[in-house]
Amino acid sequence: MNDIWYQFKKNKIAMFGLIMISIFILSAIVAPILAPYDPYKMSGGESLAGPSLAHWLGTDQFGRDILSRIIYGTRISLQVGIISVGISLVAGTIIGVVAAYYGKWVDHVLSRLTDVMFSFPDILLALVIMAILGPSLTNLMIAIGIVYTPIFARIARGSVLTIKHSLYIDAAKSMGISNVKIMWKHILPNSMAPLIVQVTLSFAFAILAEAALSFLGLGVSPDTPSWGIMLSEGKNWMESAWWIAVFPGIAITMAVFSFNVMGDGLRDALDPKLKNESS
Amino acid sequence: MIAYIIKRLLISIPVLFGISVLVFFMVRLVPGDTVTAMLGNSYTPEQAEALRAKYGLDEPLITQYALWLKNVVQGDFGYSQFTNTPVLEAILARLPITIELATLSVLIAIIIAIPLGTIAAIRRNSKFDYGASLFGMLGISIPNFWLGTLMILFLSLYAGLFPSGGFVGLAESVWGNLQSMILPAIALGTAVAAVAMRMTRSSMLEVTNQDYIKMARAKGVSNSRLIIKHALKNALVPVVTVLGIQTGYLLGGSVVVEQIFGLPGVGQLALQAITNRDYALLQGTILFIGSAFVIINLIVDIVYGFLNPQIRY
Amino acid sequence: MRFKSFILVMIALLFVVAGCTDPTESTDSGGDDSGDQEAGDGGTLTISDLSEAQSLDPHMVTDAASMRYIENMYSTMFRYVAGEYGEVEGELVEDYELSEDETTYTFTLHEGVTFHNGDALTSEDVKYSFERMMEDGVRKDQFSAVESIETPSETEVVVNLEQPIAPFLTFLAYPMNAIVNQTVVEENGGELDSVDAGSGPFELNEWTKDQEMVLDKFDDYFKEGKPHLDQVVWRAIPDETARTTAIRNGEIDIILQAQPKNVERLEQAEGVNVEEVLGTYWEYVGFNVEDDVMENKQVRQAIAWAVDRDAINETVKFGQAVPLRGGNIPENHWAHMEEEVYPERDLDKARELLEEAGYGDGLELSMKVSNNQSQIDAAQMIKQQLKEVGIELEVVSQENSVFFEQLGSGDFQSTVVGWVGFVDPDEYLYNIFHTEGMYNQQNYSNPEVDQLLEQGRKEMDQEKRKEIYAEAQKIIAEDAPMVFLYANPQISAIRDRVEGFNVDPTVTTISLENTKVAQ
Repeated sequence: MNDIWYQFKKNKIAMFGLIMISIFILSAIVAPILAPYDPYKMSGGESLAGPSLAHWLGTDQFGRDILSRIIYGTRISLQVGIISVGISLVAGTIIGVVAAYYGKWVDHVLSRLTDVMFSFPDILLALVIMAILGPSLTNLMIAIGIVYTPIFARIARGSVLTIKHSLYIDAAKSMGISNVKIMWKHILPNSMAPLIVQVTLSFAFAILAEAALSFLGLGVSPDTPSWGIMLSEGKNWMESAWWIAVFPGIAITMAVFSFNVMGDGLRDALDPKLKNESS
Repeated sequence: MIAYIIKRLLISIPVLFGISVLVFFMVRLVPGDTVTAMLGNSYTPEQAEALRAKYGLDEPLITQYALWLKNVVQGDFGYSQFTNTPVLEAILARLPITIELATLSVLIAIIIAIPLGTIAAIRRNSKFDYGASLFGMLGISIPNFWLGTLMILFLSLYAGLFPSGGFVGLAESVWGNLQSMILPAIALGTAVAAVAMRMTRSSMLEVTNQDYIKMARAKGVSNSRLIIKHALKNALVPVVTVLGIQTGYLLGGSVVVEQIFGLPGVGQLALQAITNRDYALLQGTILFIGSAFVIINLIVDIVYGFLNPQIRY
Repeated sequence: MRFKSFILVMIALLFVVAGCTDPTESTDSGGDDSGDQEAGDGGTLTISDLSEAQSLDPHMVTDAASMRYIENMYSTMFRYVAGEYGEVEGELVEDYELSEDETTYTFTLHEGVTFHNGDALTSEDVKYSFERMMEDGVRKDQFSAVESIETPSETEVVVNLEQPIAPFLTFLAYPMNAIVNQTVVEENGGELDSVDAGSGPFELNEWTKDQEMVLDKFDDYFKEGKPHLDQVVWRAIPDETARTTAIRNGEIDIILQAQPKNVERLEQAEGVNVEEVLGTYWEYVGFNVEDDVMENKQVRQAIAWAVDRDAINETVKFGQAVPLRGGNIPENHWAHMEEEVYPERDLDKARELLEEAGYGDGLELSMKVSNNQSQIDAAQMIKQQLKEVGIELEVVSQENSVFFEQLGSGDFQSTVVGWVGFVDPDEYLYNIFHTEGMYNQQNYSNPEVDQLLEQGRKEMDQEKRKEIYAEAQKIIAEDAPMVFLYANPQISAIRDRVEGFNVDPTVTTISLENTKVAQ
């Protein structure tokens, strides 16, 4: 563990990611203290005001403070990240472990299913699932969760396969330990490293996907301070009020970047052999 | 080699079949009943029954699926109420735009990625290398819809260098067409460039460490010749793979990018199919995009096989 | 097919921002520019609308963009009078007579009208067109009272109605109720999706979907000396910003419908004039009065008092819309009601009404809106405004297709949406507020209103109709199945080389036959 941390610490850019993520999490928690204004408060007299001392990042059409909305937006983004990645992690791992462990036709069916799901561009698949479920934050998280399930399934399956025939699993089997218990106690812990990396990277994907879906008008309720919604509204004001679209975009890029570099750093630290392979 | 191609083809068939099943049943799950949508206010149960029978909607789902699949295999994707044309015709009319967009994006990606990745690998751990890594990470982090928006804002609106949207046909004006495609292609190609750059860099590193390169170097073959002749050629193999993997991204990204730049491509069509609940069109476009992905990957795999004959099948 | 088309009509109707201008204003725009040449005959005019058309079949289309192409390719029996909203005059009809019992029209057609393929336009074509509209047309309900059509001679058409229909001539002036060439229709297997069967001022040259529509001057147009332009090109530029840039660069001559937020920028652009009239596009907060909460009139009235129309207009429409404080017919129409039922926002009254209704402690409501950005924006503001009287609104934005389906099937509590394109007061009221009305999504029913609307439909005297409709509007406003918000302007941006283009409340472009450009 210390070794991993040591490795990770050496990677300056990954450390930067970790710090940024900590800042994001912190702002999500203390948003009400940090935000100078109520993110929903409209004030007609101050609409479309540029960055100033009163409103550091300007205001939108309704006179809502952009900075406050971005700060509250961290809550939405992190919530989407945690829940949707949670869904994919749990569902994907179960599918992958079961497929690899039982092999044969189970593996065939589940692997083909993941292949099929991989054949759809993620955004398109999420769009269709949203069309099925209807627009809401919960459904958005479910849709993103479903879309990224196959990645976890594939990773879990791969790492289980590499250790499935190792001696100690055979030993456990010969001792009559139940399948579920073997999977849970022995196989899963050994597949953790790549899964942790993928979780971090998936956070980045999930934040991006939420923004994209909201941008296309298929996401959360329109007055939610979500970065994607803000961006989507901002694009209508590009010429007269650039700040509405530019700042939330920076927030998205920073958040995604932080999770990406941290995921990269983790991969390097956890398994030096994997270094520099693409995500 | 031929055996390998056949094997890959055979694997693709169940996947394509699976795609068709998923598409069919997924679209059935989208709320809204075609028949009530058609009848609306003048709805009576008898009329609804009659219409259901007419469209085969009273058959069991499996029968409906079989019928649909049979038609699709014969090239009949149904009729789009939104575009007022057969679905296949609507897709084919918009396909060239998406293909052009994807091709340009990949071209841009290659132009950026290969030199950048190669130099980064040669000058490993230099400032240039770090800069390239930063670009690699930023490139995959920046949302393409935001990048597109920014380019419209700064390059079109403020600088007036490009049209801010709309599509000019190739037949109408080659220059105008290129102008209308270049910003969307950059918006879409940046992430591909980033991934391809990282891939080029790491495979260059790997290749240059291999014995035969070291040997060649020892024999006094000049560095730049070495890079171009030996290393780069071998390093291209994984790059091709990455581009194959990125097909999915290109197809999905085109949904968003075409929307922002107002390009009438397949991605925009798919989005319209969703927002208009044009079921036949929705089934058609996602089936088409999914199949395109599988087929392109198949081709990439085969090309990969040719590029790298050392691989044993 | 009904509901589908109903949805499409609504989408078309709801998404267009309408408006109009004094025709005299548009004739001398740009005259002060030195070096400008006199506008004369010939030349090409390039114009751009919000979205791309779907079909060229006048009797089948329901989207506004298609109508803009079609109305220039076809002729109608009557046409809207430029600058006099609600009035119509003869087009193909040279003269007409109405029988004593007000149910039989005898129309005399112009002589020497030819279709684009050279065929003569006769009373047979008129009869055929009427029948085509009545059989499969999407607006067949407008002709439901037609009993029979006779053609005593080549230029005479007799239409018998079951009962007097006051808006009948207005319907005949609707640009999509066009006269088609029977031969061409039959040659094309009954479909006109991409062919030209018209006799209008311009004929179809080439239509490249999602790119451009080229219409050429029809040399044998029945109106001597018209049209003036050699060619009209419609460019598809779906993006608002791109359209604005295009007119500033002189790539296009007219933006048919400009958004309020861009008015200032367009006005500042050199060589571009912005012309604005009060349009037919009005927006409202709609309630499903069969809903458990919304069936309570006091709750609806409370919302009507609590909504700040001026504030929404200011933020969402940049103050360019005209708030509707009384009825729904805008002030430039002869049937406008003067009285203001909700003259200004009154929070005390709203709280009082809620108290009486038993919701003194607060109330939760849901509001559904489409993807229309200005309606999403209005809903967000209403949410904040209703908070002040203790109503907690949950706003859900849905894709248009889903939204309209749920609206039509009564699966909503409240909504913000709008209508566009009406000309006769009957259109403004009957289908929306009559118990049996086709578009009565509110499920509103008031026998008194029903009776007034039936009476108005039959009454031929305009003064009497005005009174009837004023009374109906007053009752409706007080019952508040809808909270009327505002009527939007129809704004066009026009380059100053263009002369004689009339910005019309209904967004129609039939004035292109009178339009000239300086070369």
